[in-house]
Amino acid sequence: MRELLTLTAGDLRQRLRDRSVLIFGLVVPIALMSVMNLVFQTEEIELNPVTVAAAVADDDELGLVVVETLTQVPGLDVTVQGVPAAQVRDLAEDEQADLGLVVPEGFGAAVREGRATEIDLIRAPGSGLEIDILIAVVDGVTDRLTATAVTTAAGAQLGLQPDQLAQIAEQVGSAAPAVEVVQGRTASEQLSVSGTMVAGQAGLFLLFTVGFGVIALINERERGTLARLRSMPLRPGVIVTAKALSAYVIGVVATGVLLGVGSMLFGVSFGSVPLVGLLVLCVVAAATSLTFVVARLARTSEQASVAQAILAVVLGMFGGAFFQITSSGGLAGRLLDLNPIGAFTRGLGITAGGGGLADLTAPLLTMLGFAVVCTVASRLVPDRGAEL
Amino acid sequence: MDTATPQVTSRGTAVLEVSDLVRRFGDLTAVDGVSFAVSPGETYGLLGPNGAGKTTAISIVAGLLDADAGTVLVRGDHMGPERVAPKRHLGLVPQELAIYPELSARENLMFFGRLHGLRRGELRRRVAEVLELIGLADRAKEPSKKFSGGMKRRLNIGIGLLHQPDLLILDEPTVGVDPQSRNAILESVEAMSGAGMAVLYTTHYMEEAERLCDRIAIIDAGRIQAEGTRSQLIQIVGELDEIRLAGTGDLAAAAARLQALPAVHKVAEVGRGLTLQVREAPTAVAGVVTTAGGAGMDLTDVEISRPNLESVFLHLTGRALRD
Repeated sequence: MRELLTLTAGDLRQRLRDRSVLIFGLVVPIALMSVMNLVFQTEEIELNPVTVAAAVADDDELGLVVVETLTQVPGLDVTVQGVPAAQVRDLAEDEQADLGLVVPEGFGAAVREGRATEIDLIRAPGSGLEIDILIAVVDGVTDRLTATAVTTAAGAQLGLQPDQLAQIAEQVGSAAPAVEVVQGRTASEQLSVSGTMVAGQAGLFLLFTVGFGVIALINERERGTLARLRSMPLRPGVIVTAKALSAYVIGVVATGVLLGVGSMLFGVSFGSVPLVGLLVLCVVAAATSLTFVVARLARTSEQASVAQAILAVVLGMFGGAFFQITSSGGLAGRLLDLNPIGAFTRGLGITAGGGGLADLTAPLLTMLGFAVVCTVASRLVPDRGAEL
Repeated sequence: MDTATPQVTSRGTAVLEVSDLVRRFGDLTAVDGVSFAVSPGETYGLLGPNGAGKTTAISIVAGLLDADAGTVLVRGDHMGPERVAPKRHLGLVPQELAIYPELSARENLMFFGRLHGLRRGELRRRVAEVLELIGLADRAKEPSKKFSGGMKRRLNIGIGLLHQPDLLILDEPTVGVDPQSRNAILESVEAMSGAGMAVLYTTHYMEEAERLCDRIAIIDAGRIQAEGTRSQLIQIVGELDEIRLAGTGDLAAAAARLQALPAVHKVAEVGRGLTLQVREAPTAVAGVVTTAGGAGMDLTDVEISRPNLESVFLHLTGRALRD
């Protein structure tokens, strides 16, 4: 155990002295995250104050309700000017009002009696999203009033008394909707664009970071320190274990820092810290095991660097480092699902959406399975570097 | 092989015993039945050209490679890649600069010392001693990547002897080193041997082998061609010196006159000159030059060479050491 700690500590010290780990593990990904966040971020929409020129009879209670509703839209500053019906269109066309609204004479009575009626809306040239919102609000109000009218008309046909019809109309107008549509998303889709960028970049650069450990192992082979270590009284396997351990430690620290810094810089929350920590431990295990397959196949550190970079970009890209990619099923989709970086990003989406440990089963198993397969493969494939 | 049996010298029980070592790489037999032994305080040299099998042999001895056949015993314990105990007696100085460039000389020594089981006070004491020995005490805290080639070589050796091994293996430790550093390295090796350490030294520099090694094995094509002390090996080619005369004129007449001199054993006409095998060339050369001139030979150059390991290697393999 002492020799393992000595080897690992020595390796970590070298990695920290070699600034490329800090540069590729932290500086570059944070810089890249910043740039990509600027490019891909969704702008906050600011709604401008609007003026509505409205013509409605003072004694038309329902008509006044329609107009009054417009001033109660949350987040939208609406000023209603009461004007004669004849001026509404001119005011809108001259852009003195953003929206013109004409409630016809007898609107309230028509609604109560179930007769057809209509409200005129005139939008000013160049009016924007604010007017779309107001028109939608008017639509909603008139739909509710229409429902009231239809109900009272049906009641009248059935021979109900006027006081009964008024009561029904009141109930329909004020009742909560019988069916409510709630807009929501599944837990795995809860990451924002910024969150996906941070998670994907952390996963992408994780492969570079742990790759330094493996390239260091090949460097040791090339410069003779591996031979020296192997001539020492060390138990079999302890050298490779120490390399894996130092790569793992660096990977966990770098990924943790990237997620933390990314969260702060871009206002992203990944949810439960222990669960995020668990995801980080698993994805680093997967990445580290993959790099040891590279270590067996590469003859030189140059070959290892190239292979590492290709794997990092491919797995990172399909894991969402640059843009979100969704599995479309089929063989390609299944392969996409096996990508540990993709599983990591999905896992972070689940934790960000409030998911628990049970919800993380699939991504955790994906990453751990990947780690096991790669570890076994790294023991089975021939060590091409040793053939030199 | 001229002296076939690996011998344990009178200095004591062998630290290293190598018997019938064989190692193949595909069709190539890199080491082919190599046997030798090294005793405490003895420096044993493996002398041979590049590709002779020296590095493969010591890789097996150091436990880096498995042998296809044969045994390696270090302090009586079988050596192999998975073996731990015999490696405690071993210090390896690889041909490459096996140091960490990001670490200082002191940090390199501390790191490898800990792995050899040295602790606290003993580790600090040995590091300080070795830094003095290799002449890096005043630059101990500098990153070793800033060192010259010679300084790196010295640090490379220092790491190998830090834990005072019974057996120190040096694989071509002076390759690419300036003359001053080379001399410092050779003096260090002499000091280690003098302190009772068994040293296995591989080189393709004849001068180093002659200076350092108590016994030398001449190795070529994976086989030990001859083994013994320097004088034992030179006896293989005889103890006659050589005088080479370059010049023009009647070479045949000169050869006949020279052949009659008592010190001259043999005369041969080689190219545009004569090569003579003589006893004690420094004494005989004056008479040789006078006789050749008197026989009508116009001398342009005279060269004396005494038998050395190069001659032995040439005699045994038909090739020069640096071929």
